[in-house]
Amino acid sequence: MSLLENVFAGGETVTLDSVLENREWRSNLQKQLEEKHPHDTILAIKLNIPGAIKNSPALKQLFTAGWRIFMARLSFWPVRYVKVLKDRVTGPEGFLVVAGPITEVKKEAIRFEQHFFLGRLFDIDVMAKNQDDYQLSRQALGFSPRTCLVCDENAKLCAQTQKHDLEELQTAVNDFYQEYFVKDPVIPAWDKKAVVNAALFAFLAEASTTPKPGLVDPASVGSHNDMDIFSFIDSSISLEGYFGSCFDAGREFHGSDLKALLLKIRPSGIRAEEAMFIATDGVNTHKGAIFTVGIFLAAYGYASRNYQDPSLSFVLDVVAQMGADLVAKELAQESVHDMTAGKKQYEEYRFTGVRGEVAGGLVPLEKVGLPELRRSSGDTNARLLNALMHLAANINDSTLIKRSKNPEIQKKMAEYSQKFFELGGADSDAGMAYLKELDEAFIKENLSIGGAADYLILTALVGRLTGLI
Amino acid sequence: MEIKQTAMAGTLESSDIQIVLSQGSNGIEFDLTSDVMKQFGDDIKQTIEDVLKAFKIDSAMVKVVDKGALTPVIKARAITACQRALDMKDQPQWEVL
Repeated sequence: MSLLENVFAGGETVTLDSVLENREWRSNLQKQLEEKHPHDTILAIKLNIPGAIKNSPALKQLFTAGWRIFMARLSFWPVRYVKVLKDRVTGPEGFLVVAGPITEVKKEAIRFEQHFFLGRLFDIDVMAKNQDDYQLSRQALGFSPRTCLVCDENAKLCAQTQKHDLEELQTAVNDFYQEYFVKDPVIPAWDKKAVVNAALFAFLAEASTTPKPGLVDPASVGSHNDMDIFSFIDSSISLEGYFGSCFDAGREFHGSDLKALLLKIRPSGIRAEEAMFIATDGVNTHKGAIFTVGIFLAAYGYASRNYQDPSLSFVLDVVAQMGADLVAKELAQESVHDMTAGKKQYEEYRFTGVRGEVAGGLVPLEKVGLPELRRSSGDTNARLLNALMHLAANINDSTLIKRSKNPEIQKKMAEYSQKFFELGGADSDAGMAYLKELDEAFIKENLSIGGAADYLILTALVGRLTGLI
Repeated sequence: MEIKQTAMAGTLESSDIQIVLSQGSNGIEFDLTSDVMKQFGDDIKQTIEDVLKAFKIDSAMVKVVDKGALTPVIKARAITACQRALDMKDQPQWEVL
């Protein structure tokens, strides 16, 4: 296991006594919940992690991913109580009270444990005051007992006979992390409402992240005197319907030529731009992101159309197929009308801009933004700043090039980014101080990294869909 | 040693064991329920008895509900139960919701 990708990295060792005491604490909490909610069903959700390290940044990511999915599956029943404790040294865990029949709730929990990619790592106990048995078992409902993390045998028997050593078990947990988040991230097949919410979250998260060099954030309008954070809030809200129609178009698409899917969402894209301009009194806040996120959502809708959880690479392959004609046919076409920044730069420097990014399958999302978000420590703001600065150094940012009128600016940007990470990135005081300086310097020179910001929105979107944030 | 008060340790969660110790009159008496009674019933009793001996308890009623606990867990729960029964350790004060 390499240290960088070790799911246990940064975790604290716990003793058997603290684990056992935690169980008594949990059992006591459950009893109290049963007393308070005698007619409802109580759920205790936790990870099943062998060994002395039960919590770490990566384990928290795994918990968050599963917790979100399970919450969505339970949305059928009214939820009376929610308590999430992600930081307990004995492992992240959460409690729920739902107004649903215990057997149905338990079946939903078993389905989650059996079918969700990370389900094997979760342990969901379901109980109710009016239930004879303390906790409803799988066997009582006719399901087979849980299988072991390593082999397909009954987990209890493997544990009792200590069939696998600890390293084997921990490697199995690590493999789950690698397969879900690292090698080729798995994106669960969410329903429309969750996807629209994730997109809206991503747009608002990007706008809220601060301080971003030259960009609009809650503390500064950056190098954009014609807009402020509220323009971005209004603009984001105006796009809600657009997110849903792009996703729907993908889910409902039949056919093998995915270029047709792009043509299908184009009218929605034009209407979305109109809605944005109306919401911002005519200022371009999100034109690039409308393009990339709309195409991404349609591609994701298509890739998850059979309610199978697609991999990120599959979704991005659909993106590339949708955009196959964007550069060759559109950008290269002679057009003196509608000279966008992208087209102008193509004429001047042969940079293919946002169209080229889509045609190439949004590579920096997969290779730069998302890995940085996954590895970064600190709060959500710090993680998003690190992702932004890493993206800014690794793309051709058409906003930045347009404003500096010199493509060499990308080299400088890479140097700024390198210095930022050498100082410790956004999770350090020195890194944050440097970012503020950079923001001031960008404002003075009227520079902005709008292209990186668009990629940050995509990163936050996939981060939310997978459970990274 | 005399058991001063009935004491409980452990939970009914899977992989755990709940042990309730109370005063006995006829040596060590077991009331054991286990998912793996056939395979491990005697081992579980032996593990608990060894702990009781170490605490010099020779008369007790031991009610055990095992949910597939491993030996170290059985041992730790038995130790806590003895400490609580002999007043060597405070009963836990859990937070109230």
